Amino acid sequence: MTAVLSAPPQPSAARLQAIKRPRPLTATVVSYSVIAGIAILGIWSFAALDYSFKSLETTFANLSRFIGMATPMQWPGWNVVGTRQPDGTTTFVTEWVGIEPILDTFGSIAITLALVIAGTALAAVLSIPVAYGAARNTAPGRVALAISRFIGVVMRAIPDVVFVVFLAFLWFNSGTLPAIVAIGLHSVGMISKMFADAVEQIDEGPRLAIRAAGGSKSQEFWSGVVPQALPAWIAVTLHRADINLRGTVILGVVGVAGLGYDLDEALHAGPAGMRRVIPIVLIIIALCIVFEIISSLIRARLLGVRPTGRGTGDTVVRALAKRSSRLAASIDRNGASSDEVARAARIEAVMHRPWDRGRVLTTAWIWLGILIVVWAFVYAGPDLARLVSGWRFDQVVNAELDRAIWPPNFGTRDVGTVLAAVGTTLQVAFAATLMGALISAFVGPLSARNVAPNGGVRNLFRGIALVLRAIPDLVVAIIFIIATGFGPQAAALALGIGGVGLLAKLVGDSMEEVPNGPERAVGAAGGSRTQVFFASTLPMSVPSTVSHLMYLLEQNVRSATLLGIVGAGGIGFLLLNALQGRHFDQVFAYVLVIIAMVVVVETAAILIRRALK
Amino acid sequence: MTHSDTPAVQITDLGKTYPGAASPALTGVSLSVSPGEIVVLLGLSGSGKSTLLRHINGLETPTTGTVVSLGEDVSALTGRPLRELRGRIGFIFQQFELVGALTVLENVLTGSLSTLRGPRIGVRTYPKQLRLRALGHLDRVGLLERAYQRADTLSGGQQQRVAIARALMQEPDILLADEPVASLDPESSSQVMGLIRELAAERGLTVVCSLHQVDLALSWGERIVGLRAGEVVLDTPTDDLTREQVMEIYGRVAVTTGEITAIETELADIREQLLSEGATEGGIASEDARAEALRAQAGERLAEDFANEEPA
Repeated sequence: MTAVLSAPPQPSAARLQAIKRPRPLTATVVSYSVIAGIAILGIWSFAALDYSFKSLETTFANLSRFIGMATPMQWPGWNVVGTRQPDGTTTFVTEWVGIEPILDTFGSIAITLALVIAGTALAAVLSIPVAYGAARNTAPGRVALAISRFIGVVMRAIPDVVFVVFLAFLWFNSGTLPAIVAIGLHSVGMISKMFADAVEQIDEGPRLAIRAAGGSKSQEFWSGVVPQALPAWIAVTLHRADINLRGTVILGVVGVAGLGYDLDEALHAGPAGMRRVIPIVLIIIALCIVFEIISSLIRARLLGVRPTGRGTGDTVVRALAKRSSRLAASIDRNGASSDEVARAARIEAVMHRPWDRGRVLTTAWIWLGILIVVWAFVYAGPDLARLVSGWRFDQVVNAELDRAIWPPNFGTRDVGTVLAAVGTTLQVAFAATLMGALISAFVGPLSARNVAPNGGVRNLFRGIALVLRAIPDLVVAIIFIIATGFGPQAAALALGIGGVGLLAKLVGDSMEEVPNGPERAVGAAGGSRTQVFFASTLPMSVPSTVSHLMYLLEQNVRSATLLGIVGAGGIGFLLLNALQGRHFDQVFAYVLVIIAMVVVVETAAILIRRALK
Repeated sequence: MTHSDTPAVQITDLGKTYPGAASPALTGVSLSVSPGEIVVLLGLSGSGKSTLLRHINGLETPTTGTVVSLGEDVSALTGRPLRELRGRIGFIFQQFELVGALTVLENVLTGSLSTLRGPRIGVRTYPKQLRLRALGHLDRVGLLERAYQRADTLSGGQQQRVAIARALMQEPDILLADEPVASLDPESSSQVMGLIRELAAERGLTVVCSLHQVDLALSWGERIVGLRAGEVVLDTPTDDLTREQVMEIYGRVAVTTGEITAIETELADIREQLLSEGATEGGIASEDARAEALRAQAGERLAEDFANEEPA
């Protein structure tokens, strides 16, 4: 009886009918469309890429064949000699051959680092004017804004390998110059974008103050804007150097000196070369990991450093303050006559900034940075004279075999074949994104503090994401391709697993960042952990997750193109073919296709992000 | 007080409507400020004080009417001449607007940018003469010892004093201050207001300062210009205000009866204060005594500052 009484009165059916259902937000529609789109295209790509039992079997056969050829490993400094025994097996003898190959390896590491650092430094400098024009609050006008942003997008869209190929035309036989300029130009895209974002986020007040004091536009920028955005600029540059180091492996394929070149050479040097492959790959991975650790340590320091009241610097300043307050006291005793003299002395004493700990450290860091960049340029030794002279567009050396760059054409291939190649590249990207997303759907939430059932689980999955992230995905992909034979299936697998490192971390972070009031409310109402997740955490993190998903897709399109160059098929493979045949007209045509493809994907991503806001 | 005849600031029938705004920010404002005068713009937030101040150095352009500062029609100037005019007008902001990542000294030096060509990065890129002058100004505001600290490690009151030193670096003829103490605690407030008053006296500066506290405006300014909803509703010297007039000021500046009620308790305090002072010393003399006391207090606090203050 009481139960009947306590039940709330039911609203009439007519009233229920009359409740308005507002149209869903554009952002919601876009979010779910993106998720559905990636799922559908991913599944279609998987089907198209033929992950049949048969092809998997071939893959495994290739893998074991490769391992047979690549072992025993031949590390620098040793030589592995195989002798065929009468019973048909081969025995291997490893012998020490001296320190020279080890020094050569260090030379390769040094030139790799020098190219990366010089190229990234160049990009950092070039990105300042581009960012100035691309940031809404500093851009001199709408036209400049549009042009600067366009430059940024196009530079980012053109892979650095393509730049290398192109610049190698211009400065034929000019050593490291094309590589440095290529890394520089390509990196301008990302650095200028992030720097412009930082410039847009500054506090406008100091700028206004400088304008009010009669400062010019450039003074406003350098005194009011740059000091605020400088930490971001340095952090992005370091991050970019990290990415560029991973990219040099691919640059080796088109002839840029360094570890990537050594790897490519080893791959093409018969059985003896194959035995050097795994050591080189391991050295590359180790170098990437060490570099990443250093770069993120510096970034953390840079963005986290705040002077505290107990540091040596402040102690010195405080001591100084005491001294001058004594001075001030003495002035009072001496009366007004010596007032001016004492004041001048006090000011003179502060004219020279004391060398406190903070200043010493800052100065040391600045000089260390400058020295490293200068070393990079000196060591790489680009032929700078070629920048101004010695341009040559026509690279026809052998008139019978080579083809001039103009007019671009697809040679014997028709448009359909080229589009199919583009399709393959996109399939690799979509399949990899779907795979990455599916795995991250588990790893990501479980690595979020507010979702994981306990700290242990959270740390375990964080660890998985971190390890996957630390291993350079392009390097992994190259190993996969080398090991399992040329083909897009291997590339998609490698990129898919590599993508988990990126996406799982981002998803985990954005789930930890959701406001946890609603979570507590659902929990307080008696919701279980799973219910809290689906009722509160998940819906609130959808927009950022979709944004990360788009980022992964963009990344995968670019990586898939690059992997094509090392043998994963698709449009990158056509580019490499044309390059090896010195058919420069085709190279040019494929470069244009690649640019168009990446620009389309980037534009779609930009539009989707805008709709999500 | 001797004011010359050519005004430092001459505003005639100024009107400003922001694009897309429903109602104008300023309508028909006319105001003449003589050299050396200390004027308070009094009004609640949104009454148009900041907008009016920003017209004086050309940070805003008028929709109608003219603004003539130091003999120049501000809206007719662009580029170099505008920068030069701004160089002669110091501006102090409510939020100090220092570049937090730079040292205190470099922040003060940015005040001299209008006299320099091209960008400057680092203290060393400024001429030695300017560096010496900047240190002198820092000494004047009592922060010489903080010269090489990052500006964002200073307390609010100290930051505002650095901002004053930055304005002094311009060797200004006019000092504009937009709610200079609205973000400060009462102690720092009286320090900063005292400092501005002293500097104005030392250098014969023309000061236009916007405030929203009636009591502070009465005790600090020589002349009060009241603004309400973008219109001048009051323009009076503070010397010989009667109790009724003070009451009226509150009435005029406030927009709604609700606001009047809200400040009524505050009003009672002021009235008592004025009455008791009037009884003991009388009118203007008491003003001077209060300012003197304020100044002495400020000096003491400056000294304490060095001894005690930890960076925030």
